[in-house]
Amino acid sequence: MKLDPAFIWTAFVQLLSAVPTTLAITGVSVLCGFVIGTATALFRLYRIPVLAQLSAGYVTVIRGTPMLTHLLLIYFGLPVVVDGLSAELGLGWNSAKIPMIAFAYLSFSITAGAYLSEVVRSGLQAVDRGQIEAAWSIGMTTPQALRRIVFPQALAASLPNLSGSVIGLLHGSTLAFTVSVVDLNAKAQIVASTNWKFFEAYLAAALIFWGLTILIERITALIERKIHVYRKGGVA
Amino acid sequence: MEYGFDLSYVFEFIPKLLQTLNLTLLIVAGALVLGIAVGLLAALPRLYKVPVLEHLSMVYVSFFRGTPVLIQLFLFYYGLPEILKLVSVDVSRLPALYFVMLTFGLNAGAYLSENIRAAVLAVDRGQVEAAYSIGMTGFQAFVRIVLPQALAIAVPVFSNLVLAMVKDTSLAFTLGVMEMTGKAQTLGTLTQHFLETYLALALIYLVICSVLERVLLLVERRLQRHKQRETKSRRGWLLRRKHATLGQLTREAVAGSKGGAWG
Repeated sequence: MKLDPAFIWTAFVQLLSAVPTTLAITGVSVLCGFVIGTATALFRLYRIPVLAQLSAGYVTVIRGTPMLTHLLLIYFGLPVVVDGLSAELGLGWNSAKIPMIAFAYLSFSITAGAYLSEVVRSGLQAVDRGQIEAAWSIGMTTPQALRRIVFPQALAASLPNLSGSVIGLLHGSTLAFTVSVVDLNAKAQIVASTNWKFFEAYLAAALIFWGLTILIERITALIERKIHVYRKGGVA
Repeated sequence: MEYGFDLSYVFEFIPKLLQTLNLTLLIVAGALVLGIAVGLLAALPRLYKVPVLEHLSMVYVSFFRGTPVLIQLFLFYYGLPEILKLVSVDVSRLPALYFVMLTFGLNAGAYLSENIRAAVLAVDRGQVEAAYSIGMTGFQAFVRIVLPQALAIAVPVFSNLVLAMVKDTSLAFTLGVMEMTGKAQTLGTLTQHFLETYLALALIYLVICSVLERVLLLVERRLQRHKQRETKSRRGWLLRRKHATLGQLTREAVAGSKGGAWG
């Protein structure tokens, strides 16, 4: 085995075909996770009796266990539940019909939900209480105040954490190979083992991930500049 | 195949998985030791603005934070022997465990160097000057004044990093290291009770992480004694605390006068 720098480029080109899968997994899990995260964060902030405790438990359990175990539990657990249900109800539908990528979507969304729940919660808590009081004082209703006053500021406050979570999920999407989804990492494995050039293939994959990460960071910086416009001309 | 979920397997698997716990913890410990050393080395050129090394350290940090750990694992496992072969060092027979520790160590080093840098920069310059003004030497000022404050700032991020690493060790199975996740997969294959093994695995990780979190929180509180009072007065828009009762106020005052978080 000899180092073959030219193959890095060959592998790079071949790997590009797997980038959409990786981005799709990341995108779906971030979007679904954001919805789950916002809901659980609001349950906890407003201390809604049963839901708040459930949310807290969910966040603790998911954040206390590796992403890989979530994926494996969903992968082996969901078919049992689905098959059991369809046998019970006679749906004539079985778990073999679930596409592999659905397991990744579902599992990573659950993971993302817990991490984003904390991001949303800290963002909302960072907004000063005086802001919502001021909104009420000029006659806004609570939903109006939340939507127009609290949420934009909370988003600005949580943007760095949000971008960190997105990058974390992008990197986590490499786990999808364990359930035979051909994402960037799995593709690198395929390219590596068919050509017997492991180092070059993984280096190409690393370069793509590096580029994607830097891209996310740049986009965040751009949004940050836009979103902090309201601070212009302040005291700071 | 008829598959019945049996909870008793979960409890049966837990002790079996715990046998490999020491390997998981060994990876974490080895990676942390290496990570702290590398992190410090990488942070220094950026703190002291050493010309070329500064940029090298920036690229190092950016690469390890910008690529998934899993890719890094494969990269080192397959790449390092080939590169070292160029200088005629043969490491291809080394157990995968060392590659895992090296990768996690370098990965942790990148995060830690940022952590260290941020913590040192966050200590006010006036603190050192004040220390000099009462006659401390440079070394004394660092050890007695800067270090305790920097540690207090660094610890919350550091504990997140440790917890993340405990969970990341589950990736070591991809290189065939028999730590807890690898063991769980073997158990699953042997008994065909995958769901139960992974539930047991998740439970163990959960307990480890909770315990570690508590311990690190205690360390954090202890190191942050000097700024207990500031953090108490924060108020958020959702905290509907009307007026503190007299009892609460006196309790806070008593706790404050002891100056500790333990009151």
